[in-house]
Amino acid sequence: MAMPETVSATASVAPWSGPDPGRRRRTTWPQWGLWLMALAAAAGAVATTVANEGLNGLETPNGLKFLVGLAFAGSGLYAWGRRPDNRLGPLMAAVGCLYLLAQILVQAHAAALFTAGVWLSDAWVVVFVAFLLAFPDGRVTERFDLVVIGMFALMAFPLELAWLLFWTTGGSPENTLAAWPNDTVAGNIDSAQRALVVVASVVLAIALARRWALASPPLRRALVPILVGAVAILLGSVLVALDKFQIEFPTARWAVFAAYVAIPLVVLGGILRSRLARSTVGDLFVELRADPSPAELRDALARTLRDPSLSLAYWLPQFRSWSDLDGRPVEMPTDGGGRATTMVDRQGEHVAALIHDPALADEPELLDAVSAAAGIAIENGRLHVELRARLEELRGSRSRIIEAGQKERQRLERNLHDGAQQRLIALSLELSLLEQELGPDADAGLRLSQARREIATSLGELREVARGLHPAVVTGHGLAVALEQLTARAPVPVRLTVAIDERLPEQVEVAAYYLVSESLVNTAKHARATSVSVDVSRTNDQAVVEVVDDGIGGADTEHGTGLRGLADRVEALGGRLRVWSPSGGGTRVRAEIPCAS
Amino acid sequence: MRVVIAEDSVLLREGLTQLLGTNGLEVVGSCATADDLLLKVRSYSPDVVIVDIRLPPTHNDEGLRAALEIRAHHPDVGVLVLSQYVEVGLAMKLLADSAEGAGYLLKDRISDVEEFIAAVERVATGGSAIDPIIVSTLLTRQREDDPLAALTRREREVLELMAEGRSNQGIADKLVLSLRAVEKYVSSIFGKLGLPSSGRDSRRVLAVLLYLRS
Repeated sequence: MAMPETVSATASVAPWSGPDPGRRRRTTWPQWGLWLMALAAAAGAVATTVANEGLNGLETPNGLKFLVGLAFAGSGLYAWGRRPDNRLGPLMAAVGCLYLLAQILVQAHAAALFTAGVWLSDAWVVVFVAFLLAFPDGRVTERFDLVVIGMFALMAFPLELAWLLFWTTGGSPENTLAAWPNDTVAGNIDSAQRALVVVASVVLAIALARRWALASPPLRRALVPILVGAVAILLGSVLVALDKFQIEFPTARWAVFAAYVAIPLVVLGGILRSRLARSTVGDLFVELRADPSPAELRDALARTLRDPSLSLAYWLPQFRSWSDLDGRPVEMPTDGGGRATTMVDRQGEHVAALIHDPALADEPELLDAVSAAAGIAIENGRLHVELRARLEELRGSRSRIIEAGQKERQRLERNLHDGAQQRLIALSLELSLLEQELGPDADAGLRLSQARREIATSLGELREVARGLHPAVVTGHGLAVALEQLTARAPVPVRLTVAIDERLPEQVEVAAYYLVSESLVNTAKHARATSVSVDVSRTNDQAVVEVVDDGIGGADTEHGTGLRGLADRVEALGGRLRVWSPSGGGTRVRAEIPCAS
Repeated sequence: MRVVIAEDSVLLREGLTQLLGTNGLEVVGSCATADDLLLKVRSYSPDVVIVDIRLPPTHNDEGLRAALEIRAHHPDVGVLVLSQYVEVGLAMKLLADSAEGAGYLLKDRISDVEEFIAAVERVATGGSAIDPIIVSTLLTRQREDDPLAALTRREREVLELMAEGRSNQGIADKLVLSLRAVEKYVSSIFGKLGLPSSGRDSRRVLAVLLYLRS
C-alpha cells in the first residue's frame, strides 16, 4: 500500500494546479518582433529572387527556400505563443529565423553582410538537429545527443570560418574574410565539411530510429515527423556531397525541400492537437451525463485522452491508500517505470490519479481539461470505490472471524480427541483388564464393571460435544460421507443426493455440512414435514446445496432459526443463501458457494 | 493368531497389546503410522490388523486409506478399524463390495473384553464386525414406507445381530436361543424383506447393510 507522501514524490508529472490564463496564450513583444522579422525576411527573399531572376526564379527549390524558413519560423512562433511551456516552439522559431537571416544576408550587396550570411548559412541545421534530438520535451539531456549536435556545430561554425579564410567569390560582393585566398585549400575544407555532415547525419538517423523503436505507441506517432526530419537531413547531406562531383538529383532535392516545409507544420499540428483534442472533451461531457460506472468512466477517459493503457486510481483517505476500480489496493508507478501519473485534486486534496503513457504528459492542457470535466464523475467514482473497499474489508474481516472461530473449534475437537477421549478409553481398558484378573465372581469386579459403564456414558457425551465443536468426519473424509450419517440419523425421512466426486475446499464442505445439519434440525422442529430431500451438486465454480421439505412452510428467516448464522457463514465465503418458505408450501433452502478449483 | 496394531496413542497401544496378549492372541507388531503399518503387514503377514482411523500426520483419513489398501492388496489379512466416531458413510466406504474380513468398531468397545476379542477373532477368520451403533442407526432410520415394520421384535433383534457380523451360533448364544430357532428367524426375515438367503455370514452382513441403507 503506497502512502500519499511517497506517491506525490514519485509522480512523474507535478500535480496540475489548473490553467493560468495570464501566462498562457499571449504573444509577447519579442515574439511580435520575430514575427515581423520573419515576414520581412521572407518578403525580402521573394523580392530579391524576383528582382534577380524574374518570377521564374520562384519555381526552383532555391527560389522557394524562404518557404522553409517561413514554415519553421511561423510554426515555431505560433506554438511558442500558444504553449510557452513547450520548448519546441522557440527551437523551431530559431531554426526558421536563422534560416531566413542567412538567406537575407547572402542576398546583400554589402560585402560584410554577405560574408556574415555565408558564415551563418548552415547555422540553422545545428539548431534543427538540436530540435530533432530534443523532441518531444524540448530538452537535450544525453551526452551522445550533445556529441551529435557538436559534430554539426563543428561543420557549421569553425570549419565554415576556416573555409572562408581561403575562399574567394571571384566577384562582387567580396568575401571580406578571405585572408589567404587559395582555391585548393578552400576546396579541401569544403570536402571535409561535406563528409563530416554525411557521417553526422548517419549517426543522427540511427539515434532517432533507435529512439522510435523503443518508444510507446502514442509516442511513436508523435515521433514520425522527427524520423522524416532525420531522413531529410541524411538525404540532403548526401545530395550536397554528390553535388561536389556535379551529380544532381532534382527530384530528391524537391523531396528534401518538401520535407523541410512539412516537418514544422506537422509538429505544430501535434502540439496543437492537444488543443483540438479538447473538443473531444465535449463528447466526454455527454458521456458523463449518463452517470457512468467507474469502469465506463475509465473507458471514456481513455478514449478522450487517446491512451488505451490509461488506468484510474482512487485515493481513499480513510484507508490512506490508492485503490483500483474494485476497491483493491493498488501500487502507484514509480519514476522511470514507463508510466506517468497525473493527480486529480479537488479542494486541495487528492481525489484520484490518472496513470497514463508518459507521452501524454506533453499535453497538460488536455489532461487538465479532461480532469476538470470528469471531476464530479471521478468524485462519484471514488465514493463508489470507497464503498466497495469497505465492503471488501468487511467481507474479509467476516470471513477471517468465521475462519478463526472454525480453526479454534477444530483445535478443541482435536484436543478432546487426542486427550480426554483417549485417556478415558485407556482407563476403561485398564479397568477391564483388572476385572479379568479378579475373575467373574468378585464383588470388586462388579464395581469395576459399573465404573466402566460410567466411563462409556461419559465417552458418549464427550463424543457429542466433540461432534458439535467440529465435524471431524467432514475434514477427514469429505462431505458425502459425513452427510450420509447426518441424513441416516435425521428424524424425518431424507433422500440424499451428492453429485460431487471430488473434495471441495474445507471451508466450503464445513459450511455445506452445517447448512444441511441446521436445515434438518429446523425441519424436524418446525416444518411437520413427511420427507426432505438434500441435494449437493456443483455447477461451474459453485457448490450448490439445496434442502427442500414438504412441510408447512412459513419459516421465519429473520429470527432464531439459526439461518442467520448460516447465511453469515455462506456469505463470508462469497456465496449466498436463499430461503423460500411460503405458508403451506414447504421450505426450500438453497446455498450457492463459490469454490474455485 | 497374529495381530498388528496401528495406534498413535501410546497408552492405548500398550493397553491393546496387553489385552490381546492375555487373551491368547500374539501381537507381532505395533506402530503409530500408516506407513509403518503397511510395512509390518508385508513383513509379518498377520491374520488381522487393528488400525485407528485417525493416524498422523494429518489425522484425517490416513488410517482408513491404509485399511482400504490392505483390503485391496492383502485380502487374506483381516482389517479391524477403530474410531472414536462411527459413521454409516465410513462403514460403507470400508466395506465397499465385501464385508469379508472387515470390522469397524467404536474405540470404546475394546473395554468389553470378551466381545472385543470375539470380534477380532471373527475378522481374523474372514468374518465381520460392524459396530452396533451403525446397525441401530440404519435400523431406526426414518423411511417413507418402512418394510421393517413387518418384522417382529425378536426378528429385529436377530437382524441387528446378523448385521453386526455374528454367526447364527453367536446370535443363539447372545439371545439364549437354540440354533434351530435362530435359523428359523433368519429365513423368516429374509423372506419378509425379500432378500435372497446367502451362505456365508459376512456375505449376509453386506446384503443386510445395503438393504438397510437404501
